[in-house]
Amino acid sequence: MHKISAEDRRVWLLIGTTALVAVLFIPFSHIVLQVDYDYTLRTVALGGALLGVVSGVLGCFAVLRHQSLLGDALSHAALPGVALAFLLAGRELGLLLVGAGVTSWLGVYFIRIVTDTTRIKQDTAMGIVLAAWFAAGIALLAYIQSRADASQAGLDNFIFGQAAAIVARDIQLIAGVGAVSFVLLGLFWKEFKLITFDPEFAGANGFRVHILSMLLSTLIVVAIVLGLQLAGVILMVGMLIASGIAARQWTNKLGQMIILSAVFGAFAGSTGAIISAVDADIPTGPLIIVVAFLLVIMSICFAPGRGLVWTLLRHRSDRRRFAAQTVLHDLYHYAIDHGTLSTAVPEAFLVGVHGPTTILGLRQLAGRGQVQQRGNTWLLTPAGIKAAAKDARNHQLWTVYRQYSDELTLPMVAEDRQQDIRNCLPNEAVEKLEHKLNSLLTQQSSGM
Amino acid sequence: MFQLEQLIVHFLLNFMTREELNAFLRDPQQTASLVGSLIAVSGALLGTFLLLRGMSLTSDAISHTVLLGIVVAFMVMDSLFGQKPELSSVWLIIGAAAAGVATVVLTELIYRSGLVKQDAALGLAFPLLFALAVIMVSRFVDDVHLDEDAVMVGEIGVVWANTNSHCLENCETATITPYDPRAKLTRQCVNCRELGISPRDARAKFTEICANCGEYSPAQAWQAGLIQNEPILVFWPKSITVMTVMMLLTIVFVIMFYKELKLSTFDPTLAAALGFHPALLHYGLMVMVSLVAVGAFDAVGSILVVAFFIIPPAAAYLLTDRLPLLLVYSSAIGAAGAYLGYDLARGNFLGLIQVSDILSGLNDLFGLDLLEKWDSSISASMVLMIFFFFLVSWIFSPKYGLVSTMMRRSNQRRSFEHQVVLGHIHHHQGRVTESDEVTASTLHCHFHWAPAKMQRVLRQLQALNLVQIEADLVALTSQGETHVRTFRQTQLSNETVDK
Repeated sequence: MHKISAEDRRVWLLIGTTALVAVLFIPFSHIVLQVDYDYTLRTVALGGALLGVVSGVLGCFAVLRHQSLLGDALSHAALPGVALAFLLAGRELGLLLVGAGVTSWLGVYFIRIVTDTTRIKQDTAMGIVLAAWFAAGIALLAYIQSRADASQAGLDNFIFGQAAAIVARDIQLIAGVGAVSFVLLGLFWKEFKLITFDPEFAGANGFRVHILSMLLSTLIVVAIVLGLQLAGVILMVGMLIASGIAARQWTNKLGQMIILSAVFGAFAGSTGAIISAVDADIPTGPLIIVVAFLLVIMSICFAPGRGLVWTLLRHRSDRRRFAAQTVLHDLYHYAIDHGTLSTAVPEAFLVGVHGPTTILGLRQLAGRGQVQQRGNTWLLTPAGIKAAAKDARNHQLWTVYRQYSDELTLPMVAEDRQQDIRNCLPNEAVEKLEHKLNSLLTQQSSGM
Repeated sequence: MFQLEQLIVHFLLNFMTREELNAFLRDPQQTASLVGSLIAVSGALLGTFLLLRGMSLTSDAISHTVLLGIVVAFMVMDSLFGQKPELSSVWLIIGAAAAGVATVVLTELIYRSGLVKQDAALGLAFPLLFALAVIMVSRFVDDVHLDEDAVMVGEIGVVWANTNSHCLENCETATITPYDPRAKLTRQCVNCRELGISPRDARAKFTEICANCGEYSPAQAWQAGLIQNEPILVFWPKSITVMTVMMLLTIVFVIMFYKELKLSTFDPTLAAALGFHPALLHYGLMVMVSLVAVGAFDAVGSILVVAFFIIPPAAAYLLTDRLPLLLVYSSAIGAAGAYLGYDLARGNFLGLIQVSDILSGLNDLFGLDLLEKWDSSISASMVLMIFFFFLVSWIFSPKYGLVSTMMRRSNQRRSFEHQVVLGHIHHHQGRVTESDEVTASTLHCHFHWAPAKMQRVLRQLQALNLVQIEADLVALTSQGETHVRTFRQTQLSNETVDK
């Protein structure tokens, strides 16, 4: 049994927390926002959560395969299918969705053959499908609406989404179809993972990449078609990819990403639906998108390791940490360039070179007794000169390492001049470097 | 805008009479086709550069988010100045252009974080802005002219009806003041609603208001019967002006910055190194795309306008490699699609096929109950025509088309077959192995080909007079010898050939 790493524990904790917050949101909204949990809202919230799960899971693949905008093209491409199915079979949700699925899938296929047989790139091909299929849908809808009967009312819902139209039967449908697609996902897990991350390798190992990627695209089509009723063709792409992008920030493992994305999707779907119930004028689909986007912003900012906030903080603390070292380096070189090591350096010069952190660095150095202030200038103490010389030597060794590491057959390490090279390389390697540096220095002085 | 229209009207009257002009402008087909092709040309010119820069889908994003700009501008105008501007108002256009740029900036911000891929950033940014716009429309804006339906699916068939009237003669305006004898004065209860009482209540207070006071333009004055002489009017659809301005702006933009656009499209690094500010140009292009998208709003709606940006350049891209031709072809394809689309919407496909015939055929075949009269969305049909042109150029393009590629491949295959057979014969001719290697009946074994295939190739070679067959022995003719020798000299000159 392998140990669960701290990182894994963090992801599972986040998954649990998100689920908990989503559950706690129900009494909170009931008491604080005075949301009335009537039958409609329960249905819509449950539908939103289910759709969030389905599109969250399948959207991960769209995000990872750099096909985020495929969702946009395909949701638009579903419209003619809805209209055709209505023309041929009447108002039966299941059949409308089948029609939507068929035309979306034709869209996927069209994108494939256009990019395979011409020099048109994938994004343009998607744009063509988006516009042309949608135009066909609008033309058919206009034709349908020119008939005098009222049974077509509500077909427009597929363009903008109409959450309130979701009824219990739709939820059964979503749950059923979602379950089937998850089973397929489980069956082809290894294959999908492979073609997502390394399609060339998959092809070389005899996997039918084309067929598999069409199957995966088909599953994405399924997610889109299910979500159309709620989000509408325009916002569907946000629904599909937002939770996947948010989940991606927290983990590097596909399994964890998918579960987290499902939880995020469910969270956005349900809370979005509940908040929109606060005021009758707020449409549900757009609000779900806004909630999902807030999750993305939160993840981009706070995800451990790669979040923007942490990066920013790390940069700041690095600047502080290396402030002293940088200032010492500058002082030393200024002094050498101006004659003797006892040259005083104007503070304004140092600040001009390295900005506000200089003062911080000078204070740190003064605390260590390596510099002393004389009026508006700074001077190295003997201890400071010793430290600076050691640092300069360290820099020289790094420079030699960069130039001659191949020649001296030294081990590969990442170059980091703030570190003491003795801590980065084994002793014999450092000895080789010292030797090389000394011989270079003698060459230089004899050449002069 | 109004003055500009007047200038155009007076200019046009030099070429045609007023009646002709009015008849033209009142014809739905003429105006729809005209506006459609204006949109198509502007879209195609900008779309070409978007295509070459690999950002076709940016036009999709922008065309959606201009809704946000329109809504915000509308709300600002409504609350600050108490005006409800029309869709073609300059302020709304500026707001929309700002929203378009905001989309691009937001996308780049998300992308720059380094945590999200470019396509995903676009897919996040525009649904968010669109969602915000929809929420604001449903929550705060209460106006029939501004809802998401109106902006998503425009109808180009009615642009002729939304006009400014320009008066040429008998231009009497009229003003009715409350003291005018023609003024219709009515009494209105000022405190009824407040107190919840009926106007008959004794506490009701009344004020006199004038129902028909105000300024009357010549057209309105004539309609209201305020003037005796009928003014001579020209009714000019507003969309034509808006789209003409947008198209002229686009053309000026493309001509003025042609060199810069070309350079920054094909070699952005060099453009930056030479100081052409590719970033500035990039945002300029985005502003132009937003302007055209918003100008086309009430005509074709915000989703279908994407088609005018993407499909014509894609079709032209399969026809030519030269940028000037690309611009011309894509404009022509867009304009042709717009002109022919009107007929398609009325059920007439290029004068070849009547959609109603297909529908009645379907009814007969499957016993369906479809309405046999096809009367559909004009803007959607224009897009479908443009898409049809894309299909045509995809299949029949002389350079990159499916047919020509197929023919080129089969030519290559045939010429390869000829070369290997000729080479084989040349190699074995006049040697001891000749009778084993180059007999017509066994030749196919040496290539692992089907006998029929070898016979076909030999027949072709005989017809070309490159080989002759005597008593089952295949031999090169003198022409065949020359052929092999030239082939060796030209194609194999770099390799050592031992014979």
